[in-house]
Amino acid sequence: MSRISVPTTAPLPSSLRVNPSSTTVTKILSRLSRASLISVALDWLDEDNLSLATPYLRPDQDDNEEEDDGDFYPPASSPEELREEYLSLQNRKGSKRDVLDRITTGDWRHGVSLYQLAIADLQYLYDHPTSQKWSAYNIVPLKAPREDDDGEVQPLEADKTSLTIPRFHPSLFLKSLQAQILPDIKAHYNLDRHKTLPLLILRIFVIDSPYNTPLSLSSNGNMDTGSKTILIAFPDGSPNIFISKPTSTGPTGASESKSLGALLAEGIPKALSLPRQRVTLQSTSLTTRNLEGLLDRRGATRGNAAGGGWSIYADEKVKESPLSTVLPSPPLSDAAEEEEQGNGDKKRRERPTVEERVNKRAKLVAQARFGDTARVGDGKGVERVDLVMEDPFEIGGDDDADRMDIEGEDDGEEAFRPNVRLTFHGNHVFAGIRQLVECGVIDGEKMPGWMTGEEGVTIGAVRNGRIRGHKGFGL
Amino acid sequence: MAWSWTQLSTVSFSTEQISSKNQQGFSIIESRVYSSSSPLLLLPINIYATPTRVSLILSLTITMSSPLRTSPQPPTLDDEISALQSKTSTLLTSPSTLALLSSDPKLTSQSSLHQSHHLQTLYRTCATLTLFRAQDPDPNAVDAGSILGLRIEVVSRAKFLRPYYVLFNRPWASSSSLPGPQRKWLRVHRHTVPSCIPLSGLAARYLPSPDKDDTRRKQDLGKFARGVRREVVRYHARLGTVADLRKAAGLGRGGDGGDKSGLVDISPADAEVRHVSVEWGDGRTGRLVIGDDGEVEKLVVVGENGRDREAGRELLGGLGLAGTVKAEEVVRRLAGTGGA
Repeated sequence: MSRISVPTTAPLPSSLRVNPSSTTVTKILSRLSRASLISVALDWLDEDNLSLATPYLRPDQDDNEEEDDGDFYPPASSPEELREEYLSLQNRKGSKRDVLDRITTGDWRHGVSLYQLAIADLQYLYDHPTSQKWSAYNIVPLKAPREDDDGEVQPLEADKTSLTIPRFHPSLFLKSLQAQILPDIKAHYNLDRHKTLPLLILRIFVIDSPYNTPLSLSSNGNMDTGSKTILIAFPDGSPNIFISKPTSTGPTGASESKSLGALLAEGIPKALSLPRQRVTLQSTSLTTRNLEGLLDRRGATRGNAAGGGWSIYADEKVKESPLSTVLPSPPLSDAAEEEEQGNGDKKRRERPTVEERVNKRAKLVAQARFGDTARVGDGKGVERVDLVMEDPFEIGGDDDADRMDIEGEDDGEEAFRPNVRLTFHGNHVFAGIRQLVECGVIDGEKMPGWMTGEEGVTIGAVRNGRIRGHKGFGL
Repeated sequence: MAWSWTQLSTVSFSTEQISSKNQQGFSIIESRVYSSSSPLLLLPINIYATPTRVSLILSLTITMSSPLRTSPQPPTLDDEISALQSKTSTLLTSPSTLALLSSDPKLTSQSSLHQSHHLQTLYRTCATLTLFRAQDPDPNAVDAGSILGLRIEVVSRAKFLRPYYVLFNRPWASSSSLPGPQRKWLRVHRHTVPSCIPLSGLAARYLPSPDKDDTRRKQDLGKFARGVRREVVRYHARLGTVADLRKAAGLGRGGDGGDKSGLVDISPADAEVRHVSVEWGDGRTGRLVIGDDGEVEKLVVVGENGRDREAGRELLGGLGLAGTVKAEEVVRRLAGTGGA
């Protein structure tokens, strides 16, 4: 440990220990449940992680001495012993407080390393998958910089005709990202694979200090006032990245967290660029808390640009080999047939009432418009959709009173465009709309396409009944 | 019903003959009921085929039949039903049955349905690029919801995969400011092509949006379709090569094994599967770049003491320098040493 703090451009080392009584540590650890805390502690004690998460052990020479009186959590003599201890805690009942105290004042009283904090933070993400709000960005190649006639460098534009798919190399990316980050803040990076989803998660922990020594992390230092965490997810086999909204521990102003976001948004494309192959990030107007839903719309699947009813084209379970000589049955005909056969069994059943027929029709229409997407239990929901209507308001009669009732701004021209913004809220917005169609509340045949979620965006402007200029398909 | 190359050589390329051969040869191979994916399915209206490709694909389909037919599992009820269905289909369309059926209007209409379906599957098998029409269910869709669909067939590991679809619409159909022909220009509306295929780049090259001042601009659906297919086929070929490399090096799904070659992991390192990372048990790591034509474009192996050229040469097995060696040759060599 160096005695002098020298400003440096290096990242914070993973082994750097943080005072366990600091607010950041307490905050990260105390939001985990008891079971998660124990599993995190066992994770720390794992053979591979031990070098970066060394617990406080009893010094060898003290072996013969009697245990210190007053030490509530006597130090263990070996990591194995400690592992046993936590395994037995797992089987015992108790409060979360006990485990937390044991970690902060007992086994890791000399400090919790940044690596340990990163593991604990990711555990929270696994426990609460919707805790982060992710925005999806598309990585697009840029044209080579050009100079105009006056010798001035033109602003870079996206190369639409490029056939290269941007590549991502984790360690190279980290190295260049570190070079992009200004020297007056320090960051700790931790790359990890998501446990269940095909994602690589990069956690960036930023503190507002030019030093990378324990002093800068001390409890009265900068850590508690200006530390921020940002998560970046790289889906496998897809030129998209997902960036989470930065969360900060201290009372920071909105401008500060915004500036970090801007800094990263600027730094990430530069770090992703390779020599002679520059890239930029393009927003894809998709923001959600659901990582699985994001992967479904921006991952390496077929359904990226075929949402809603079009998903029948993307369904890989459907076999459609050209070697089959069996006549294809058009979609939806299976369900209709089954129904017919069912009716045939119960001979002479009274004819379906009008209501039944309407219900059946509504279900079929919903199936046609949504395909197999937007099911309540599919776990691919978005929780918020914001739309701006830019269509002119069609006035049915010449009733001026009605017209005046509607709040909005008039163009003064023939077209009257009220300022209408629609926000859909819920666990799974499009499944909700589907249910309404199935119940017959929404007329599925007249329903505009943007209500099926087939565009794959959560922010958009509707003009002529269609979402205008969405960049989702990049075409 | 077994086919061989000698029989193949006698196939003339009249569609009728192939289609009847097709039924006899392949009717039992595919054994699942499937439903068409398009809301409104029509006959293919455009194909890109040459006689050479027809023969190529026929030979492919024949090789795939053997492992499937000798499957030891007892047939399930579903299998039997679909086998019966395909037999019915074959029966209904054979010339001798047709002569018998001529009096029954219901059966003849059924028969003509089957015949047109056979013609369609034949085009799909041999041309691999077929077009169809569909209807956009959105009431606000441009051009009254007319959709042109492009279906791209891909064969991977001796099986036809679910086709990839690109669906076009004509957003400029009602724009009065454009000259007539440009109003019929197409635009990609929806597609199921994976995101690692540069579809947007190809669309920008071959299907540009109209510009009334620029009359030299042209759209070329044929070039676009061929370009997309080329990329898709290359992508699946690379995926297959990586799987073959893993198999040849004795790497199972679990990731263990491979002690004969000393390799512990071979996996794709980027979205396009152009880069393949190779890992040895002793800590050496390598990067292999697969080119467009399946050649090993570059190979770098880094050991503890910097670059390890020896290991790279060893992996290529003295076949030559990177850039001239095909990836399949590396597979074959690895398989050879693994078995020895």
